[in-house]
Amino acid sequence: MPAVELKAIRKSFGDNAIVKGVDLAVNAGEFLVMVGPSGCGKTTLLRLVAGLEQADSGDIFFHGNKVNDVPPRDRDVGMVFQSYALYPHLSVRENLAFGVTLRKMPKAEVDQRVAEASRMLELDALLDRKPKALSGGQRQRVAIGRVLVRRPSLFLFDEPLSNLDTALRVQMRGELARLHQQLGVTMIYVTHDQVEAMTLATRVAVFNQGVLQQLGPPLELYHRPANTFVATFLGSPSMNLLPARREGAQLSGDGFTLRAPASLADGGEVQVGLRPEDLRLASSGPLSGTVVALERLGFDGFAFLKTAAGPVTARFENASVQVGDQVKVELLGEQVHVFSRDGAKALCHPEPKA
Amino acid sequence: MKACLALACVFAATAQADELTLWHAYRGGEEQALEQATKAFTAQTGHTVTLLAVPYDAFSAKLSSAIPHGAGPDVFIFAHERVRQFVRLDMLATSTGKLDPSVYLPAAIDALEVDGQSYGYPLSLKCLALYVNDALVTKAPDTTAEFLAMAPRLSAADRNQFALAYEAGDFYYHAPILLGFQAPLFDAQGKASFDSPGMTHSLQFVRGLQDKGFMPQESSSALVKSLFNDGQAAMVISGPWFAGEIAEGLRYSVHPLPVVSETQEPMHPFLGVEAAFVSARSTKAAAANALAEFLARGEGARLRVTVGRQIPAETAAYERPEVAQDTFIQSFHRAAANARPTPNTLEMARLWEPMKLTLRAVLQGTAAAEDGGAVAARRYRALNREAPPETSPVPWLLALGAAVVGFVLWQSRKKKEKAPDLKKAIVWVAPAAVGVLVLVLIPFVVGLSLSVFHHDAGHYTFVGSANFTDILTSKGYRVTEPLSFWFTLAVTVLWTAVNVFLHVAVGLALALALKSPLLKLRGLFRVLLIVPWAVPNYITALMWKGLFHRQFGAINGLLHLLGVEPVSWFTHFSTSFAANVCTNTWLGFPFMMVVALGALQAIPQDLYEAAEVDGASKWTQFTRITLPLLKPAMLPAVVLGTVWTFNMFNVIYLVSGGDPGGATDILVSEAFRWAFQRNEQYGFAAAYSVLIFVVLLGWSAITKRLGAEKTA
Repeated sequence: MPAVELKAIRKSFGDNAIVKGVDLAVNAGEFLVMVGPSGCGKTTLLRLVAGLEQADSGDIFFHGNKVNDVPPRDRDVGMVFQSYALYPHLSVRENLAFGVTLRKMPKAEVDQRVAEASRMLELDALLDRKPKALSGGQRQRVAIGRVLVRRPSLFLFDEPLSNLDTALRVQMRGELARLHQQLGVTMIYVTHDQVEAMTLATRVAVFNQGVLQQLGPPLELYHRPANTFVATFLGSPSMNLLPARREGAQLSGDGFTLRAPASLADGGEVQVGLRPEDLRLASSGPLSGTVVALERLGFDGFAFLKTAAGPVTARFENASVQVGDQVKVELLGEQVHVFSRDGAKALCHPEPKA
Repeated sequence: MKACLALACVFAATAQADELTLWHAYRGGEEQALEQATKAFTAQTGHTVTLLAVPYDAFSAKLSSAIPHGAGPDVFIFAHERVRQFVRLDMLATSTGKLDPSVYLPAAIDALEVDGQSYGYPLSLKCLALYVNDALVTKAPDTTAEFLAMAPRLSAADRNQFALAYEAGDFYYHAPILLGFQAPLFDAQGKASFDSPGMTHSLQFVRGLQDKGFMPQESSSALVKSLFNDGQAAMVISGPWFAGEIAEGLRYSVHPLPVVSETQEPMHPFLGVEAAFVSARSTKAAAANALAEFLARGEGARLRVTVGRQIPAETAAYERPEVAQDTFIQSFHRAAANARPTPNTLEMARLWEPMKLTLRAVLQGTAAAEDGGAVAARRYRALNREAPPETSPVPWLLALGAAVVGFVLWQSRKKKEKAPDLKKAIVWVAPAAVGVLVLVLIPFVVGLSLSVFHHDAGHYTFVGSANFTDILTSKGYRVTEPLSFWFTLAVTVLWTAVNVFLHVAVGLALALALKSPLLKLRGLFRVLLIVPWAVPNYITALMWKGLFHRQFGAINGLLHLLGVEPVSWFTHFSTSFAANVCTNTWLGFPFMMVVALGALQAIPQDLYEAAEVDGASKWTQFTRITLPLLKPAMLPAVVLGTVWTFNMFNVIYLVSGGDPGGATDILVSEAFRWAFQRNEQYGFAAAYSVLIFVVLLGWSAITKRLGAEKTA
């Protein structure tokens, strides 16, 4: 039985339909990441699960029990807010203990839980400070600790790392992954950052415009995106999409010809998806174009090209390439994704490279 | 040569024609009459007259500050009650000599005499008479027995119909009845006298009128006016000024007040005589004297009667054909025959407050008529404190000198940093320093110094700490009496605590309601709720005073609809206090609401969501999140509100007026009464103010510590 199950959930604010019929099941012990661009409805969905919003239609089940009318405080969920929402008038210790003291827990147990959480999150030295005397990362840890102390059966995270700097974000990501492993609790995590999604998730749910696009383990989504939205959303830089036609054993578009995957059914107009890391600037290759920009990451990097078929991003391992150069691009390992022309459906995916 | 001569002639002519100034407090017809009369004077004598109309409230103070410094008018018009005080301050010229009893009414001459010397020229009379609505009363009563006989027919209290309406709670209106019952105002030594059979009988008589429903309760001038104009009061006791307030078309006549049947003595109203006084400091004494006399007699008197509708003091004026025809003027002339000039002695000034207290107490039922005299006598003794013994200021001055020297030494011992640019610093600081000096420091020092003096009729004597010890030991009355400092302090503290609690509670509740997302038309409500704050508070206070009226107030009206007995709000401490608190809460909650609303909006919504998920109920959210987060914003507001409420003079003075018997007065209103309503005990009042200052200083020290704890 899934820990959380959403059935045909719809939610609008005024005339704005935010969630347009979502079905989703979260397994017990799973770390589910909901990802999508701003305004895709992922945060609203999380708040629906927490009970902070009421769905217009559809049902929410926790372990098979319908919780539509259960107030947040009785849902046994813990939530980490994007703004952290620490109580400014309380010390770190009081912030951590807030939830359990409300539940009339004996003081000894409260102290023990606070001590445990602060040890786990390295907050021991900060317990008597007020939130305003903490750094962003410390506040973030307190917000997580507040949930930890309560030991709810479901953890909810609403873009918890978006206010942190890059280095801290990497560190916190590691801590969250470790935490999930340690506790084995069901967690639902909302982010717009695909890196967080890929690194943290057991499964990823990709949303766009209020609709669930694809649900699956991160690598499956990466290797077998269900449509061009998922394909371009995951992976950085984005997958290149080029319009093409199938002509016999070949896929040809403006200025390029590729070998058609054998599994591709015969058909007319399609889109070809090529990941930048599968493309290399080379002396010869099926694609050619002009370098319009370069993103150097050291010795290698990504080159942004203008080709006859449209813009293409490709890796290079040659430091001498310059903006304005005429270059050729080769395709490594026949990694060709094919989508329907409207992008709504994947037609075939390559075998992942070993 | 000829030209020079002509010029000299012109100079001589202008030297003879003086320029006179005349100050008065007239308005409307009376002012017009005065203008015409002075023009006639200029035409006759060539002296020009400049008129200055001074607001009545400020008139006396302006005269007594301007004239001794030579800045005053040559002639001024004032009522006779102050003549003795003016004489003592050397403000009046003695040029009048002795007034001719064949020219003026004898009562008017009496009024202007001090120790055998007359001052000024009597212009007009003011006294009370009986206004009768001719549609309701065919023949005005000559005696109280006649009045009592016709009163039942003219009264129906349940329909707000009364035989008589007048300001019964004001001693000026009670005086004719008191004198009609042959009660003496003063004893053989000239001291005020209260405890007499006449006093008891007069109080019983008035109380009886009220009990039988012949006259309304808690009358005010506005109520009397509206009752008479609406035909709900058949008769009214009032003065000549009342004629201007009667609705057009209402047929009425004016009669002398009736004779008291028990004593066969006519009611004797107080006679006020307005006179033109010549200033002792006038440099054009002859012309000024001529002007004053001109206004009093002949053409001057004629204009004042016909244009100004004044009741003349000149006997010849009544013989003029146009005046002989004038029933209104003639009626007041007859009414004035029984009038007695208001005594112009200091002792008279001391009568008013004890008398007023007694009248209120008896009419409101808090004292029996038989005890009325005793109540007044007790109050009189308390108010007219014996002057404390004069003490030598030398030890005080020595102590002050020592303190100053000590302070200077202490300051000079402190290490001083040399200001880099002293001149510039002084220039920058000067404007603010001058403001603080003039507006704060000087009044403060003057008040502080005043508190060690005793003031009696313009003379100050140094009494050291006697004012303070008298206040703090509650000399002359019990600690539990309203006149005691400790009683008043307790009332003030209670008043402040109850008010601030209600302000915060109501303000916070409304702020929470306004913040609620479910509320429609939020902007409209917000504006409406701030309105009480935008209305000047004395207007609000007067409105609430009206709402709490015993017979005509809306609150008793509502209670009546609910089947509850009407409450006489200002006769018991608890109800009177509650009425004050209602008014002040109405005035005070918007401020707290605005502060709370601002603070509430600054609390992030996600804190409530976090608490909600953490398991907090709405109430827990309020107590554990809202209240603690409001505290930093509300604490300064509460401290401010406390000080405002502690010193909220307007509401106390205008709503309960200290009733019953001064019990609801707070420290500031008491200080005001000691200074301005109780025999001008400025020193005593200043000592009161100093004590108020000390109390608030203590309070601010406490709140300072509270604030410090918060930030620690």
